[in-house]
Amino acid sequence: MEKPSPLGFGLGLRPVYYQEILEKSPRVDWFEVISENFMVPGGRPLAMLERIRGTYPIVMHGVSMSIASTAPLDFDYLKALKSLASRIQPEWISDHLCWTGVHGVNLHDLLPVPYTSEALDHVVDRIRRVQDFLGRRLAIENVSSYVTFAESQMDEWTFIREMAERADCWLLLDVNNVFVSSFNHSFDQANFIDAIPDDRVVQLHLAGHTEAVTHKIDTHDQPICEEVWLLYHDVCPRFGLISTMIERDDNFPPFDELMAELDRARAIAACARTQAQEAVT
Amino acid sequence: MKLAELQTRFQAGIVKGDTTILASIADSRKTDRATLFAVYHDAYRLRLAEFLSTDFPVLRVHLGEEAFERLVGGYIESAPSRQPNARWYGTRLPDFMQKTAPWRRNRGAIDLARFERALLDAFDAPDAPISTIDALRDIGAEDWPRLAFEFHPSVRLLDLAGGTARIYAALAAEEEAPAIQQGEEAIVFWRNDGQSFYRLLAEDERLAVIEAQQGRNFGDICALLAFQRNDAGVTQRAAGFLSQWFADGLVTRLAISD
Repeated sequence: MEKPSPLGFGLGLRPVYYQEILEKSPRVDWFEVISENFMVPGGRPLAMLERIRGTYPIVMHGVSMSIASTAPLDFDYLKALKSLASRIQPEWISDHLCWTGVHGVNLHDLLPVPYTSEALDHVVDRIRRVQDFLGRRLAIENVSSYVTFAESQMDEWTFIREMAERADCWLLLDVNNVFVSSFNHSFDQANFIDAIPDDRVVQLHLAGHTEAVTHKIDTHDQPICEEVWLLYHDVCPRFGLISTMIERDDNFPPFDELMAELDRARAIAACARTQAQEAVT
Repeated sequence: MKLAELQTRFQAGIVKGDTTILASIADSRKTDRATLFAVYHDAYRLRLAEFLSTDFPVLRVHLGEEAFERLVGGYIESAPSRQPNARWYGTRLPDFMQKTAPWRRNRGAIDLARFERALLDAFDAPDAPISTIDALRDIGAEDWPRLAFEFHPSVRLLDLAGGTARIYAALAAEEEAPAIQQGEEAIVFWRNDGQSFYRLLAEDERLAVIEAQQGRNFGDICALLAFQRNDAGVTQRAAGFLSQWFADGLVTRLAISD
């Protein structure tokens, strides 16, 4: 099982930054796109993506696969996803461990899964079927969640580890989501990180969130907070050289501010790896 | 509880405010389950409202903040999204307004919604190459009457309330909007070089576009216009339309019909 080569440090490709990216070719190693934004018949977004694809590696990140839903798999959606992948040739395709709706409705949210053996069997089966259809492994991301189900029979990290092994998929570890969920559900972040099989993780996500006193909400509209930077520092040695990207989906700052965050991620990763090597020697 | 039942209840809690799902959720150490579930319930409405605000910015200005919020709230409650792609969530908004009080009496607002939706649809329409007027040079004079046109997939013709285009242009430029006018106006929407465009059509050009879209050839279109106008200058005028269609980027292909 050979993981894709690390791409370096990337950003989310968002329309507000198209012009700057095309004009300045910034020092970003790769871009992640929201797959659904480009699953359209035609027009400017696809043309922009193809131009930027000429210079940068691209990863496709979806929000609507609804891999944990009990609704039937949406093969129209999967065909459109496969068609986009065929056109863009992404380094890999990711989506979330979540569901987005049942009975034909799409709630446009990353809804939480009860950590039960039934849900695990269901998700594993669906990931395998989607991977067979797409002809490639998926990377599945841990989400931020706000509720704990009374039905849950195992920890989130046990569920994810089992899922990855049984479905033979990659993992996308969202560091901010670990932080947000650890606060909301009062678990130890280290338990989560330590349980994640490092040979399955192909990518890290960093992002900002919103504070709501009794809970935190994953909003991607703020700078990355200090606690998440700290957790990222702790996570880095575990995964070595790994593709890392910053998500920003609202309250968009000047592009230079994202570049500064990306440089900070580069510095922390380099520092954490050095410290880990020194500790070994 | 089976996963399917849990998801059905969770969704009912979000969409309908049904509280049955709370029995399956634990309080956290910091707050109660209702507060935590409300994150999903509220985010659903905020997110859909944001999609609509992004897609209908001029309608929002036209109606005013309070009325637009009422419209959006009513639409969200009556029309859950059924698309994996949020870009099409607002597709049914003009039809919803057409069928629902008090919006159904507001033709100006309904047609402004149709106008903004048409711009969005043009933006996302399939790609196709644009033909230039140079393509006409290869057509022999004897073939002109049999000339047929294939329009770009983004081209769409709408008959909207009189003044809709002027109201849109004024509000988009943050100027005072003129009043809606009597009667209707024909507007063609299309995309060129990634941007959506629109243009008002006179009655005879509207007819020419409709006929051309249905595959009628240039000779038939001229004959129809001549019949309608009873005017010797019809061919010149039709040639003017043709020239404008190429300049706008409406035509993708020419063909000589049998």
